[in-house]
Amino acid sequence: MEPVTRRSFLVKGSAGAAGAAAAFGTGWTLSSADHGEASAASQSELKDLKGPLVAQVTDAAAGKVSVLVGEREVNVTDKSLVAKLLRASKKN
Amino acid sequence: MSSHREAPSILKDPLADNTDVYAWRTNRNTIAIVTSYVPVEAPAGGPNFYEFGDDVTYQINIDNNGDGKADVTYQFRFQNQITNPNTFLYNTGPIKSLDDPNWNRRQTYSVTRITRRGARLIAKNLKCPPCNIGPRSTPNYAALADKAVYTLPRGEKVFAGQRAESFYVDLGSVFDLGTLRPFQNLHLIPTAAANGRDALAQANVHSIVLEVPIPRATQRTNAPTDPLDPKATIGVWGAAYRQKAAMRNPDGSPSFAGPWMQVSRLGNPLFNEVVVPMARKDEWNAVRPHQDAAFAKYVAQPELAKLLPVLYPGVFPNLKALTKDRADLLAILLTGIPKGLIPGFQNFTGQTQADMLRLNVAIPPSSNPNRLGVLGGDIAGFPNGRRLPDDVVTIELRAVAGATYPLVDPTFTPDAAVSAIEDGTFNNPGRKFLDNFPYMGIPYSGYDVP
Repeated sequence: MEPVTRRSFLVKGSAGAAGAAAAFGTGWTLSSADHGEASAASQSELKDLKGPLVAQVTDAAAGKVSVLVGEREVNVTDKSLVAKLLRASKKN
Repeated sequence: MSSHREAPSILKDPLADNTDVYAWRTNRNTIAIVTSYVPVEAPAGGPNFYEFGDDVTYQINIDNNGDGKADVTYQFRFQNQITNPNTFLYNTGPIKSLDDPNWNRRQTYSVTRITRRGARLIAKNLKCPPCNIGPRSTPNYAALADKAVYTLPRGEKVFAGQRAESFYVDLGSVFDLGTLRPFQNLHLIPTAAANGRDALAQANVHSIVLEVPIPRATQRTNAPTDPLDPKATIGVWGAAYRQKAAMRNPDGSPSFAGPWMQVSRLGNPLFNEVVVPMARKDEWNAVRPHQDAAFAKYVAQPELAKLLPVLYPGVFPNLKALTKDRADLLAILLTGIPKGLIPGFQNFTGQTQADMLRLNVAIPPSSNPNRLGVLGGDIAGFPNGRRLPDDVVTIELRAVAGATYPLVDPTFTPDAAVSAIEDGTFNNPGRKFLDNFPYMGIPYSGYDVP
């Protein structure tokens, strides 16, 4: 089973962004419901997650997100991820 | 205080608040290092007595090549245990041993040594002693705490637990507009003269005490013997770290995520307290010593040196006229004192400006220690390291007032009042240090000191 690594996270993030761009032209038009299935974590990724995973949007316009997990920090640039988080934050 | 509650953020986080750092050479070719946390513990702390943070990483950092970065680090992490989930009590009877079932809330810790070769766990499941509660709960406390002294396979000794506060200061006076008790009548707002009052006379702290064979801390495979050897000086600082994100769970428990962030550090006593402006104190606690050039201007032109002539009109005329950068203080606090200024002495670590407690380990312990350290002609004391009884408040007050400026400008004459400045608390009868490891005094018991 593949552990959650910086590399796999980046690959996964990039794939999501590319997929969004291909389907909708720009990631900003993507709805969370549309993209939710493709982004589901694998069972192995879920098993590897031992504690909380915190995402801090450090620059929403630039799509910069700091992901805190375990004792690590992974910085990613993913505008579609920011968009999904922003929309999620507005849900009741 | 030395570094007790000295910055806006860390004053809210006492378990991570590094209050003091001490480092001195012992008479056994070892270096003793003490870093204390949890400022101003009232001994009667029940029902939840004081402890280290199990969510804090504590480090003793040693720079041995002058770049202000740690070359040898001893890292301490603590774990809590509750043995009886059905009582509100810290102890349900006398605690007579470190395994006593009457002791309900206890701590163990691990020690990891980190060098450029990597990190190595050198001890685990070491036991802290309980806090000193009183004669019924912790009878024969000294013997009980002695059981928490450990000697590790490579020669290090460690202890972590409650101790009597070693730092002394007339805090109420200093922060009442810079009152110096001997000169109250000369103050801008004069009052009658009175003796100094030690604000920490009966307080406890939590101390991590480490004794290291000298070659385990320096670049030398043998202990340096020449005080003028450039590699004879090490820089020491303590620091505490918390994970970047903290969350509260519905059941009241916390969760954490992310890398460890420095939230407190200290090399020289009082650096962040009285040198760094309030607006930058939190930043100073967050950055590393090798980044201290950004704070050098506050050392070069210390605010306190400008205040003294204002607060004491006519008492410090030479200090008032001294407007040049304070090269003496820059050396003492940020680079070490280069050779050639004090015969037979140097603790210079290079041009990198970094707040570290610099210790020239080639200088043997003094057979007749002077509480004023180098100012008193005793080069085995502060600012060559720092021993527990060193009167650092008086030393630094005198230095800021101009006592050390002749080191860099022999034409300067310190004001006559400088040699009379005293904190006035050095002879506090409550300060009882131990002759042997862990050196810090037995903590005050809650029964005796409510």
